[in-house]
Amino acid sequence: MSAIAKALPRLRPEEMEDPKEHLMHDPMPRGDMNTMVLDSMHTATWKYWTVVTILAFIVVTCLGYAWYYLIMQGLGVSGDDRPVYWGVFLVNFVYWIGISHSGTLTSAILRVLKIESRRPFTRVAELMTAFAIVNAGLSVFMHMGRVWLAYWMIPYPNERTIWPDFHSPLMWDFMAITTYLICSSLYLFLPLIPDLAMVRDRSKGWVKTFYKILAIGFRGTEGEWKNLHLAMNIFAFAIIPVAFSVHTIVAWDFAMAIRPGWSSSVFGPYFVSGALLSGVAAVPIVLFLVRSTMKNMKYFLRPEHFDTVGKMLLIISMIWAYFYFNDYIVSWYGGDKWEKILNLFVQTGPQWWLWYLMLFCNIVVPWSILWRKKWRQTPWLMALVGILINVGMYTERYIIVPEMLTINRMPFTWHSYIPRVEIILTIGTFALFLLLYFAASRILPLIPAWEVQEGQEGHILRKIGKARIPTISEID
Amino acid sequence: MSDKISRRDFLKLAGVGAATTAVLTGCGPAARLVQREPYTKMPEYTYNGLSTYYATTCRECSAGCGLIARTYQGRAIKVEGNPNNPVNLGKTCARGQATLEGLYNPQRVRGPIKHSRGQSLYGSDNQNVESNMSWDDAIQVVADALSKNQPNEIAFLMGMAPDHLFDLITDLTKAINAPAPIRFGALGMFEARTTLMQAANDLLGQSGLPFFDIGNADLVFSFGANFLETWLSPVAQTRGYSSLRRRNPNQRGYFVQFEARMSQTGAKADEWIPITPGTEGLVALALGSLMVTASGASLPAAYSNVDVNSIANVSGVTLDTLKRLANMFAGSAHPLAISGGAALGQSNGLQTAEAVLTLNALVNNIGKDGGVFLSPLAPLADEYHRPASIREMDDFVAKLQSGSIKVLFVHGVNPLFELPKSIALRDAFKNVPQIVSFATFPDETAVQADYIFPDKHGLESWGYQKVAAGAGSSTLSGAQPVVSGVYTADGAVPQIFYDARATADVLLAAAQKAGGTLASALKFKDELEYIQSQLKGLLGNTDGFFSAAEINTFTAYFQQNGGWWKTSDDRVAPSASNALNKTFNATPAQFVGDGELYFVPFVEPVMAEAGANKPWLQEIPDPTTTVVWNSWVEINPDTAAQLGVDNDDVVLISSDAGSVEASVYKYPAIRPDTIAMPFGQGHTAYGQFAQGRGVNPFDLLSNATNEAGDLAFASMKVSIKKTGKKRQLSRLEGVIGVYENFGQQP
Amino acid sequence: MANDLNSPVKMNMSQDAQGKWGMVIDQDLCTGCQACVAACSMENNVPFVGEVDAGYGRNMQWIRIERFWSGSFPDIKMTSYQPVMCQQCHKAPCEPVCPVYASVHSESEDLNLQVYNRCIGTRYCANNCPYQARTFNWRDYQDARQRPELVTLQNHLNPDVTVRRRGVMEKCTFCIQRIRHTEDTAESENREIRDGEVVPACAQACPASAITFGRIDDPTTQVSQAAVTSRAGHLLEDLGTIPHVTYLAGGA
Repeated sequence: MSAIAKALPRLRPEEMEDPKEHLMHDPMPRGDMNTMVLDSMHTATWKYWTVVTILAFIVVTCLGYAWYYLIMQGLGVSGDDRPVYWGVFLVNFVYWIGISHSGTLTSAILRVLKIESRRPFTRVAELMTAFAIVNAGLSVFMHMGRVWLAYWMIPYPNERTIWPDFHSPLMWDFMAITTYLICSSLYLFLPLIPDLAMVRDRSKGWVKTFYKILAIGFRGTEGEWKNLHLAMNIFAFAIIPVAFSVHTIVAWDFAMAIRPGWSSSVFGPYFVSGALLSGVAAVPIVLFLVRSTMKNMKYFLRPEHFDTVGKMLLIISMIWAYFYFNDYIVSWYGGDKWEKILNLFVQTGPQWWLWYLMLFCNIVVPWSILWRKKWRQTPWLMALVGILINVGMYTERYIIVPEMLTINRMPFTWHSYIPRVEIILTIGTFALFLLLYFAASRILPLIPAWEVQEGQEGHILRKIGKARIPTISEID
Repeated sequence: MSDKISRRDFLKLAGVGAATTAVLTGCGPAARLVQREPYTKMPEYTYNGLSTYYATTCRECSAGCGLIARTYQGRAIKVEGNPNNPVNLGKTCARGQATLEGLYNPQRVRGPIKHSRGQSLYGSDNQNVESNMSWDDAIQVVADALSKNQPNEIAFLMGMAPDHLFDLITDLTKAINAPAPIRFGALGMFEARTTLMQAANDLLGQSGLPFFDIGNADLVFSFGANFLETWLSPVAQTRGYSSLRRRNPNQRGYFVQFEARMSQTGAKADEWIPITPGTEGLVALALGSLMVTASGASLPAAYSNVDVNSIANVSGVTLDTLKRLANMFAGSAHPLAISGGAALGQSNGLQTAEAVLTLNALVNNIGKDGGVFLSPLAPLADEYHRPASIREMDDFVAKLQSGSIKVLFVHGVNPLFELPKSIALRDAFKNVPQIVSFATFPDETAVQADYIFPDKHGLESWGYQKVAAGAGSSTLSGAQPVVSGVYTADGAVPQIFYDARATADVLLAAAQKAGGTLASALKFKDELEYIQSQLKGLLGNTDGFFSAAEINTFTAYFQQNGGWWKTSDDRVAPSASNALNKTFNATPAQFVGDGELYFVPFVEPVMAEAGANKPWLQEIPDPTTTVVWNSWVEINPDTAAQLGVDNDDVVLISSDAGSVEASVYKYPAIRPDTIAMPFGQGHTAYGQFAQGRGVNPFDLLSNATNEAGDLAFASMKVSIKKTGKKRQLSRLEGVIGVYENFGQQP
Repeated sequence: MANDLNSPVKMNMSQDAQGKWGMVIDQDLCTGCQACVAACSMENNVPFVGEVDAGYGRNMQWIRIERFWSGSFPDIKMTSYQPVMCQQCHKAPCEPVCPVYASVHSESEDLNLQVYNRCIGTRYCANNCPYQARTFNWRDYQDARQRPELVTLQNHLNPDVTVRRRGVMEKCTFCIQRIRHTEDTAESENREIRDGEVVPACAQACPASAITFGRIDDPTTQVSQAAVTSRAGHLLEDLGTIPHVTYLAGGA
């Protein structure tokens, strides 16, 4: 005992960290916590409804009407041309797929690694996966010339006697994204079950019926908990390769093409790191919004959680930079004529500033801010960093898709690209994303109450001399 | 023999010409006139799923290329070249291909219209103005105009093509002692046909249009001649170019172009010599002089006044280059020098044409393969009736201005667009009490007319055309309707959309109505009967592609084969004995205005003067700049930098005659002291695809002529001012790929 | 099962095919006159797109005539005109990337086929075409309801060629309708197709006769012989696409 006390740094009491800063060490009675979570779901101010109305309006006009217009008029109303056949829709697709990695992949990794501070925010992150993947799918549909025939990509025996071509990276994409959507929906649903059961038990009337159906009869028996944990474990491990494969295959959409700038063997891991970067960077934004707009959330979402995300971001940003320069230096040193022209075009062409913006947002910003704990623990700053990194990653995708498509091996055809209706539809997808969150905050408990409670029960502060040492009992 | 031949007879006869019928299935077998109607009333020989082919003549320019039109259920689907026609031997240019867009153009005049001058012929919604009179009334109007005016108060202005209608109107004017019809076209002006003929007449002592045998030459010096674009007979000359390069597998023909702005033709040259505008003739003289000097012979009269050093100075071609080129020309087995285009559109254009002919005479290639001939005279032609020069048009306009003309008939030409504004035709029109236009399309001239009696489109018409240039054999290209009219299928019953009538039919009917000498001189039932009366002159001729003793048979063959031509080489070899005896003053060209830049207008090669109403031609990129759908002004990048203008900046170009605004195209292959503009856009009428697009460089031209009377269209000096506006040019090329640093050639 | 149906080799349409087709373009002869472009548009019902779209890189023409500049005034030269259309690659990068088999290969004729009514408009094929030979129907350019001027102009549409609607990719077909027609004719006359009997619209129009078309699996044809001369080359040969359009270098 004294050996441990000696090993501890001798800190003055005011210098010592208050363990109560940690959610796990700031326990609350189970009933009170459940009430807090329910309160947050049931409290809606006029501000909330105003925002929801505005978002709904944007979704109907910018997404609904603009898409209708796009479908009826054809892609001529977009900015695509020869040679930029893929424009902002594909940028959005890659971007939203990237965002979708934040949730399921991050949550799965943290769960597998048993990072305790994950507990309150996995749900928020997993919801992001579901909503982002909806937007990613929509973006692909917007991109298609004849979207009303999109079902031709589904492999089923049909009267057309045509089977989709599995040689095509787009088919791999289609299959991978479908798999990922199903897996991540299940992965979102599993930890929701006890919480839904909790809500069911505390509601009345048709609401109760609604949650009764959703909670699929969960009663909290020992066997059910065991099965739940087992299922969650399996999914947590299994979904990591699925998520990796999804973004690798998205990268292959580009890397498999014979185009300068795209045809690169490092694109798979590079895209995965980029997806993680933008996805994880989206987490503090959402956490900040949830924390500052919803009731009772300051208890659950604390600076320590921003800190965790910040550390991850810093590492991922470094990984991204490593892959980016790996790709860049290989193409530069390789000296291929077209790669050289392409790099020159990206860095000195009409949209040169995009390249510098990308490097600033993805490297300079995280590396100069995230090294300091105090800043990592400042929620608004973390949200700002998240936004900047997302701007940087969006820019990166913009450079990869329309910028790089401008340059091909037939210089006579080089026309640049100016987005048109895409801008409105992009606004629409962002509004849809937010709207889905707003809707979810009314329907689902955004905080996995049972996971927090489970964590808090496992964490105990032991007094050793003057120091209070956090200890964890084995849960699994 | 009877007037009509039976189907059986025809089939027998057709067997004789079986070799020629391989690709031709269309001709009028049983009747003189074949009715072609839409598929609700299908003629027996039109099968579902099978095409019918008709041989006819392209009317897009006056070259007279033979076409074969593919029709399908009464609609014309595609035109191809007629492989037998000596002009084009189965080939076509882009304009010919797009002729169907004229036939099916949404803005054709719908029927005979009486209208007040200046009023548009289609509304803001692009709906065509409805016909407001019957054809009977229209014919009455023409008959009255012909009979109630004094003969010398009647004037006919026609297009460039020497066709059956020109013959008919010539006969008509002869019958009433009216002035002969005047033919004109902007292309003829750009080609400087008058100058070329005058030069031939002066030096070779024989009148006729020169024929440059590019195909058999092995070295071509072209002084401004844009012979691959619109000059004389572009399809035939392109074939010649092809042969120049590949005829001899061991030696590829060499080609040097002298011009201030690299044209499409210049782009194909091995050497492009950017000489000062107006010094082409001087350079030709210098080359000749150097050749003679190098050979040690004494200088002929032609080169007595030639100072090679000063020519090198004024033309901007170094003496070394001149010597090298002179050596090359002298050392070649079949050298050929051609003059044309902007080189002749100078105040000294005739001197240039003659100096170039002299160069040919010096190497003794006049009348030899790979040299200079005179074009063969077409069958039925007594001489080549050249279109009017600008000087003659100036006189004609003055006559209109004076008020001595009471009725003007306009056919096949759009003079308000094709004449420089400085020749005040629009004003002169005010002094003509009655103007009748036979325009198929609502062009600028039709808009200023009192009556529009639309002629049929070329693909709906009968006719023949005397080929003036391009063919080595004497050629009469024949035309026949390939469709019976344009129909729309509104509901089940097809209705005629365009109620056009052949101008020849209108004139013949009017002549009968007018009575008197006119009626007795033009006693023809219809256009076809008139054509047959002309074709009778060819009966029994055995040196032709086919022969027949009887007119209906001949007509059937004529339709089937798309014309009649001799199988011999009919190029005229003139005497060159005096060609070296003319002395030249060797004067540089005079320029109009005190601007700092030479101004070179050129014909947009794809669209030319009348292609602007065809959307395909609008969308086909200009071969040199790849600009579509608009006008531009070509400026050397260095000059542009000095002026502080960039691509797509709108500049104001002003000359003594006027000013226009156009977007800048920084063109790397033009002299820094020269700017160039395409001719073809700038319509104020002529249908929705043409109207309000670009500008007409003719607004900048004065009526200065060269010695022969052709317009000195390249003799203006202009100045440029920035306007601060910007209007983006649509180009096929990617500017960043072709012009900016990233653009490395593949 | 599905694979059998999607393999053109096993589909009936190619059983009667007679040989593989190729084209030779002599850049020395090409004068850039655009007659081929007009003829192709006419034959294949290619629409016009208007000034704005044309300037924005949306020309639908199946052939484009490229040219570049070398040097600067006065020693400037225009590079030889280079008509570029679908190169009908033996190993076509556009084919494997289509998820719905709209871009397929005819093994027997070695042509790249584009099946318009299968196309769903992902535009991957166009991205992956190193020659940028594909054009996309960005709008309903052929819809007379949206473009009233087409009501009369549509009369000249070729009944042998499908009119494409918005959202469909298209490209040069080597005038496959003419190949088929000639094959039918030859078969009904019980003979082989003669060399030079199949003439695509571009070659038929070309005033300089710069375009030659014929069988490349028969060494005696004009194309086969032209393709082995010293001037012959292919576009972007290093990519290994094995294109069937051979270019004879200009200026020599």
